[in-house]
Amino acid sequence: MIRGTGIVKTFKQRGSVLAGREVKALRGVDFSIEKGGAVSFIGESGCGKTTLGRIIAGLETYDSGEIVIDGTAMSALKPRARQPYFRRIQLIHQDPYSALNPTRTIHQTLHAPLALRAKQTRRPGSWIDTRAAELLSLVGLDPGYVLPRYPHQLSGGMRQRVVIARALTVDPEMLVADEATSMIDVSLRLGILSLLKDLRERLGVSVLFITHDVATARYIGGDGDMYVIYRGQIVERGKVETIISSPVHPYTQSLLSAIPVLHGLERPGEQRVVPTEALDESKSDDGCLFARRCPFSTDRCTSEIPLLARSGGFAQEHSCFYPERRNVVATPLEAA
Amino acid sequence: MAVSVETSAETPVEPMPESAPKTAPGVRVGGLSVVYKTPAGELPAIAGIDLELRPGTITGVVGESGSGKSTLALSLLNAVQPPGRIAAGSVEIDGLGDVVGLRGEELRKARGRHIGYVFQAAQNSLNPLKTVGKQLLDLGRSHGVSDLRALVREAKELLGRMGLDGARVLDSHQHELSGGMRQRVGIMLALVLNAHLVVLDEPTTALDMITQATILRIIREVHEERGLTTMVITHDLGVVAEVADRLAVMYGGRVVEQGPTHEVLATPRHPYTRGLLGAIPRLVGDIDEARALPGRPPTLGTVPREGCVFRERCALRMDVCETVEPPTVADGPRLVACHAVEAGGAVREESA
Ligand SMILES: Nc1ncnc2c1ncn2[C@@H]1O[C@H](COP(=O)(O)OP(=O)(O)O)[C@@H](O)[C@H]1O
Ligand SMILES: Nc1ncnc2c1ncn2[C@@H]1O[C@H](COP(=O)(O)OP(=O)(O)O)[C@@H](O)[C@H]1O
Ligand code: SF4
Ligand code: SF4
Ligand SMILES: [Mg+2]
Ligand SMILES: [Mg+2]
Repeated sequence: MIRGTGIVKTFKQRGSVLAGREVKALRGVDFSIEKGGAVSFIGESGCGKTTLGRIIAGLETYDSGEIVIDGTAMSALKPRARQPYFRRIQLIHQDPYSALNPTRTIHQTLHAPLALRAKQTRRPGSWIDTRAAELLSLVGLDPGYVLPRYPHQLSGGMRQRVVIARALTVDPEMLVADEATSMIDVSLRLGILSLLKDLRERLGVSVLFITHDVATARYIGGDGDMYVIYRGQIVERGKVETIISSPVHPYTQSLLSAIPVLHGLERPGEQRVVPTEALDESKSDDGCLFARRCPFSTDRCTSEIPLLARSGGFAQEHSCFYPERRNVVATPLEAA
Repeated sequence: MAVSVETSAETPVEPMPESAPKTAPGVRVGGLSVVYKTPAGELPAIAGIDLELRPGTITGVVGESGSGKSTLALSLLNAVQPPGRIAAGSVEIDGLGDVVGLRGEELRKARGRHIGYVFQAAQNSLNPLKTVGKQLLDLGRSHGVSDLRALVREAKELLGRMGLDGARVLDSHQHELSGGMRQRVGIMLALVLNAHLVVLDEPTTALDMITQATILRIIREVHEERGLTTMVITHDLGVVAEVADRLAVMYGGRVVEQGPTHEVLATPRHPYTRGLLGAIPRLVGDIDEARALPGRPPTLGTVPREGCVFRERCALRMDVCETVEPPTVADGPRLVACHAVEAGGAVREESA
């Protein structure tokens, strides 16, 4: 339903020290998300995931590249004419605390967009409250309990469900969930993840799931595609299960290696990959953008640019000169 | 970069006062209760907690939001602020005695010098108007450090080993640092006065996985090199699994299970521990077996006054759970408070 090619985005930094410095948030990214499909973007903080998610939701401009929604190229349209296309794509961002107006009850929060929707679709006013209750039930909340309450009276997990219900008021075809579970207790994350999966299965909405936590991406749909993004570039792309079970790019391997091991229940992967230094956006690099931090880099890596392609007989695309399967993921110990 | 291994005897800052613990102190929390004043009266956020931090170990305290972890951490420094107060119990720290009895100047000195502390959301606890270096000097002065140059040297060294350019960070204001950098600054400030008891409240929450892994590794390394007693607080069982020797699971202001981390993870006994473990999104294993914990944690007003605090979310609850608070029962190094756990640790699987 949405396709992008060569998306480039550069930010000019403000602020005293960094003023004028440019940040290449996206360096020519291609993506494609099918109707009803699931795609996840993973990568550490600062790699451009949010920027790409916001561009896809029509909330951020881009410097160059093309976005095509349901067959229509956005470059051919005036900004106003693009709006109905992007309205099909709703963003759920990470902070369920700031996403809801604290002075409005949940009823008021849902009423406004539903009233607009009723007008657009020529439905009677009585439809609004019925639909509000329906949406809250759909996201696993008790409408009677939630509707009269203010956001501060709800837990983080409940608030995030309200945010999802609000996104559904416009009958979107796609949800962009940007770190939608990262501010919620681990104990409640699976609930939100399975809700998104469920919405995809029951309503046929596509889900773009953005996270730094690879494990959570698995719960959105193993049949989906995973894009590993590093410094504004895709470095590995393939089916979720392929990337998780046999990653070949050292950056992906670093992300997977960083997931805590449940010692006592699991044995750590034998080849955990640890970057040799922290991400530093201020340093420019020739060749492979990961070379400075890559434990396997050679002279070639700093003089030649590796391109994303399918090579070496692997199922996924990657951009590494020396792709190799490594055993980085923990394995469960036999039950005692 | 070479990093000196500090012991308090050869600290580059200045000799410790007489009473300072020279090595990792043990901490014994006994019958600790903390209440907060609310419109409904004073309500307990933690109730009758017994917990021992053994010298030289890392203890992980895990539980959902609202279970009382931060309140427990603040009590170790006798730093619970109104509307809260320590209503009962003691916190015995080797070399300091019962800190619940400390007041004023004595207390101020103990903090920072003996007990290093990283507050929850350390990311936002820096002063936005002052550079990190200025704040470091303030900290040193307020604790009577005479050799401030040595303090700065020590700070740079700590930042360096956490992968940061120390000089640059000390010259920066909070807004010029990323979340992960601020978190590391918080850890540096907790360690720089060479305290031997370190309390870290959610040190990696809201950081990405690679930054989290780096910070956990550093916590472990510094802990070992300096011979610390460390407490790490988190809602993420994975985090304690990575760093902690011992694990204490909190729910509704109680410690419901504790023991050696590997043992507790391998054979969790309390239904809450089992639920927490089953709710972690994993990279391997059957997706359909993982599930979110049903229900939600209690708030001050909704913690049951009698019986088991976990019973509303417990699949194993029995009649006795309604009326009798389960006593904490020891089995070797493991402790658990649940009516369904029998002597020897077997869990009755069926509810009666
Ligand atoms: N509005 C903005 N102004 C300046 N720089 C920005 C802005 N938004 C993002 N950036 C920069 O772009 C890069 C990518 O950021 P982001 O898309 O938020 O990454 P992620 O979501 O992967 O953490 C970062 O270096 C970030 O600092
Ligand atoms: N200043 C305060 N006033 C009133 N209640 C508080 C205050 N601080 C914490 N509480 C309550 O005490 C309980 C425990 O909180 P806290 O120790 O912060 O738990 P955790 O760190 O595990 O999330 C919660 O129910 C919380 O709402
Ligand atoms: S191309 Fe070289 S530096 Fe880049 S990821 Fe591969 S091995 Fe590492
Ligand atoms: S005491 Fe009863 S309610 Fe509480 S955890 Fe054990 S079985 Fe469940
Ligand atoms: Mg982001
Ligand atoms: Mg807390």
